[in-house]
Amino acid sequence: MGKVRIGVFICHCGSNIGGFINIHNVLEYTRGLPLVKHTEDNLYTCSDGGLSSIKEKITEHNLNRVIVAACTPRTHEALFRRACEEVGLNRYLFEFVNIREHCSWIHMNEPEAATEKAMELIRLGVMKAAHLVPLEAASTQVKPATLIIGGGASGLSAAVNLANQGFDVHIVEQTGKLGGLASRLWKLMPGDRLAHEFVEPLVNTVKKSKHIKIYLNSIVKEISGFIGEFNIEVKTPQGKKDFSVGTVIVATGARELTPIGLYHHGELQGVLTQLELEQMLKRGRKRFRNIVFINCAGARTPDREYCGRLCCATSIKNARYLREISPSSSVTVLQRDVMAFGTEFELEYRRAQDAGVRFIRYEPDRPPEVIGEKKVSSVRVYHTLSGEEIMLPASMVVLTTPLIPNEGAAELSRMLKVPIDRYNFFLEAHLKLRPVEFATDGVYIAGAARFPVDIREAVAQGIAAAAKAAAPMTAGEVILEATIARTEPLLCSGCGNCEMVCPFAAVEVRKDDKIQNKSFVNAVLCKGCGACTAVCPNGAIQQLGFTDHQIFSMIETMAFEDGSDVF
Amino acid sequence: MSSENKSKAYQPKILVFACNWCSYAGADMAGVSRLQMPPNCRVIRVMCSARVRPEMILSALFKGIDAVLVLGCHPGDCHYSEGNYYTRRRGIILKKLFDAFGMMQERFQIRWISAAEGVRFSETIREMVERVARLGPNPLGKDHGRFTP
Amino acid sequence: MLKAHQKKSVLVLGGGIAGLQAAIDLGNLGFHVYLVERSPSVGGRMAQLDKTFPTNDCSICILSPKMNECSSHPNITLWTYSELIKIEGNIGAFRAKIKRKSRYIIEDLCVGCMQCVEECIYKKPKFPNEFDLGLSKRKPIYKPFPQAVPPLVLIDAKTCIQFKTGNCEQNCAKACERHAIDFNQKEEITDLKIGAVVVATGFDMLDTSGIEEYGACQIPNVVTGLEFERLLSASGPTTGHVLRPSDNHAPKKIAFIQCVGSRDIRNHTYCSGVCCMHATKEAILANEHDREVMSTIFYTDIRAAGKTFQEYVTRAKKEYSVSYIRSRPAFVKEDENTGDLYVTYEETTTREKRSDAFDMVVLCQALEPSGTDGLSEILGFSLDAHGFIQIPNPLSAPVDTTRPGVLAVGFATGPRDIPESVVLASAAAGRVAELLRS
Repeated sequence: MGKVRIGVFICHCGSNIGGFINIHNVLEYTRGLPLVKHTEDNLYTCSDGGLSSIKEKITEHNLNRVIVAACTPRTHEALFRRACEEVGLNRYLFEFVNIREHCSWIHMNEPEAATEKAMELIRLGVMKAAHLVPLEAASTQVKPATLIIGGGASGLSAAVNLANQGFDVHIVEQTGKLGGLASRLWKLMPGDRLAHEFVEPLVNTVKKSKHIKIYLNSIVKEISGFIGEFNIEVKTPQGKKDFSVGTVIVATGARELTPIGLYHHGELQGVLTQLELEQMLKRGRKRFRNIVFINCAGARTPDREYCGRLCCATSIKNARYLREISPSSSVTVLQRDVMAFGTEFELEYRRAQDAGVRFIRYEPDRPPEVIGEKKVSSVRVYHTLSGEEIMLPASMVVLTTPLIPNEGAAELSRMLKVPIDRYNFFLEAHLKLRPVEFATDGVYIAGAARFPVDIREAVAQGIAAAAKAAAPMTAGEVILEATIARTEPLLCSGCGNCEMVCPFAAVEVRKDDKIQNKSFVNAVLCKGCGACTAVCPNGAIQQLGFTDHQIFSMIETMAFEDGSDVF
Repeated sequence: MSSENKSKAYQPKILVFACNWCSYAGADMAGVSRLQMPPNCRVIRVMCSARVRPEMILSALFKGIDAVLVLGCHPGDCHYSEGNYYTRRRGIILKKLFDAFGMMQERFQIRWISAAEGVRFSETIREMVERVARLGPNPLGKDHGRFTP
Repeated sequence: MLKAHQKKSVLVLGGGIAGLQAAIDLGNLGFHVYLVERSPSVGGRMAQLDKTFPTNDCSICILSPKMNECSSHPNITLWTYSELIKIEGNIGAFRAKIKRKSRYIIEDLCVGCMQCVEECIYKKPKFPNEFDLGLSKRKPIYKPFPQAVPPLVLIDAKTCIQFKTGNCEQNCAKACERHAIDFNQKEEITDLKIGAVVVATGFDMLDTSGIEEYGACQIPNVVTGLEFERLLSASGPTTGHVLRPSDNHAPKKIAFIQCVGSRDIRNHTYCSGVCCMHATKEAILANEHDREVMSTIFYTDIRAAGKTFQEYVTRAKKEYSVSYIRSRPAFVKEDENTGDLYVTYEETTTREKRSDAFDMVVLCQALEPSGTDGLSEILGFSLDAHGFIQIPNPLSAPVDTTRPGVLAVGFATGPRDIPESVVLASAAAGRVAELLRS
């Protein structure tokens, strides 16, 4: 331990602590603890006066550990750490003891017991502080370049945003052209603009950008590394290409579920999917007879529980277009809840109804029946709200099917070490607050690869992912956690427990230069949770700042109520 | 710490491990709300409940601390995504171990407390203190035999 | 910490989840951010929620770190109880005037210990607590809610005796050892030079007093969705025990009526987007607290179109005694003797007319953009027909308003849930980085 010299600063916090705890007694007690070379009390330690006093006393008494006994570390820990640093004391040689939220405020009617508890909490803090060692938070450089996997609406939007911020972008697209699903659509709602009026300018902007390299008909073969420096290997028609980037955005999108056999798709002529309808409309077809849409085809079933999110809007859109193109046609949409949420979709729902589209509700336990011989002729459906079974003449049946992830999602998830759910959609870091990030630093997700999105959401997510990726790249470096795990190789038996439990894949057991299996901590990925430390049979891997030695010492002194033995 | 104070009445001592993100914040919340509770617990802060190794719990109990409480985030809410699942599994095995020893079963508990659950924290402490007061001093502690429950 | 590379500053209006996220992302991109929030604390509507769907995460637990991050981020200046009153100029060179309202507390001195509140001449709280939507009371000197950021108290001049009569003992000032109370504090106007603005002003609830058929504001046991949320909250007026207002009994049968004022030509024709999931969540939580609770949700369409939302609704039906009836009830009547309620409706899938008894009715009322009329005048952008901030090119520029350099995110632009708001907030940060790149 060397010559540990601890300074303890006890705070009154006005009367919040001082009004309930006998500070005088605590001071006396603390002075008697081993290794404590200076003790003082302050009315408000967090005030300018308190901070100055700490800095003065560190210098004056040559203190190399500082304890503040006051409120909760969650408010002022950073403040006090900075004060230590300002006079040359490593910020991790500081320990906070909570004698307000955890003591004076909750034992207001038992001042004697509260005082005793404060003394013990300070003794525990002294024990911890005695075993603290200086720590440095390392940093790692971040290359100002991004790999975007997928050249659809979200990938392209992310690319343009990053390029405009001055970063280099590599887009790897597995088909022969950019534009994704959006380029297969006819018109877009709201606004009724042609899809290519949206897609082409975006694609042209990307193609013209000096910052963006495009690899068509290409796939990512291998990704290694971590935030700041990912090494990418791409298989292109011209051979293998290697490059490194600081961040990666997954924007691999989705495809339409092709419902083979469902409602006789593939068996009867005239049963199409929405995309097949869009192709027809793009080719300029004008003559239609009676059309029936069947929504939730292949969605919201026991096998595929999710709602496709944009399918109702798609059916609303196309149904209205058909009525406008062919006013003599009857257009009916069979639905189970109309997911026209928000302002624009609800408005379009009303517009479609005003345009003469009929919406008929069916229940999942009585699905519609598509009838015909070789060609579809009618649809029989139980009309829930009227309680009658009706026959709808239909020369065309359009199945509104949900988006499903593109093939290759599972392979990509393995390559990037990012999770996927049971449908093969990528699993974001947090469903509510981190929807475009992965738990793995430096890798982001945008668009339908995560969950079905309409174009507006795809674009917004692309730009959001770009903003997230731009943060470490703008700074040029990432500052890592200081209280991370570290392995002492001499103690390590290579058992692999640590690697197994790490939630961030930050620990790896592999051969060292003596060809022995040892655990290695990736300081960039380690988040300092301590899970590995708890499972190491030898104490070889330790979480700095929360080591076994530190914690066991605190337990000892709590059990034996006496400082001297344990020191 | 004077031993004269101790002879007045049995005062259980409870070691509480609280994770930084949820349960420590929940304890802070209880403090901010001025929820009064018995003064028997001592909180050691860890970043994640998964940091608490079984040997720490065993060490504490076998050195005479009257009870150990490990607090973590609710399952599914762990700041490090799966730490509390390890805590939960360890808890199950430790309970079996204590059953095999025939002692200490009730002196070790795991509770999930979120940052907003100040009330739940105070109730947990109160419940633990009552439980341990009922059980009496730790048979392996220095106070054993000095008090009748 | 990431150092500020760029010299341009950004103004973020609104400290709810969208504003907080935008500020953090902008701060991380090296911009200096002024986060201006009208109320005395950041947190917005999300702070008033107990849990969030579909994860049932404790709302304040996941929100608090963001609130604290904004308050301690080196690139963010947090000004609560402040408003934008004027702005001129163009993108890259705006000049904004911010009014900093008086709390009558010196912010640098207050540590949030609340001695002053304890000693206030009002022995008992008497005035409606805004955070609890009037379901609990506060004193004229108060902290907005326990986890408020900044954790300061403030004095409401409209209810404080000192301001009303000029003649108070000023116990609060005497009790404050930091001498943080200043009855003479004046509001301040500050000028800022900023490069871009992000508007994240969120939503308010439709005033339901016009909806007589459901007895809103008249029948005690008819409450609104957010009021029910406060009752569910551990930090709310009933510490998380759902008790009905008339007699403080725990309700066992609860009715949720959806689309109150939404999808309604008399009020708002749009769909408020989040209420189907919100009601499902509240019904699940009510049953989690008390397994005897049975909830019925009266809906038109169950809009559960987000990731894992359908599974959430299925769980509600299977595990939490929640039933869904497709109907827009005709009216709600009260039995004045018991406080019990009768909901009269037509079950549209069976065409049966019924009148069922419930202990409590929760109205999921329409959500409206907050303060956009005033903002539109000050900031010079257009609103859409419903009063939301107009996004003229949603497909190519999803956060741009009609005024260059002014972006809008979150519910201010249309019904959005939390993940959607967070995405738009980050997108706004990316957009600012693109627009202000020097």
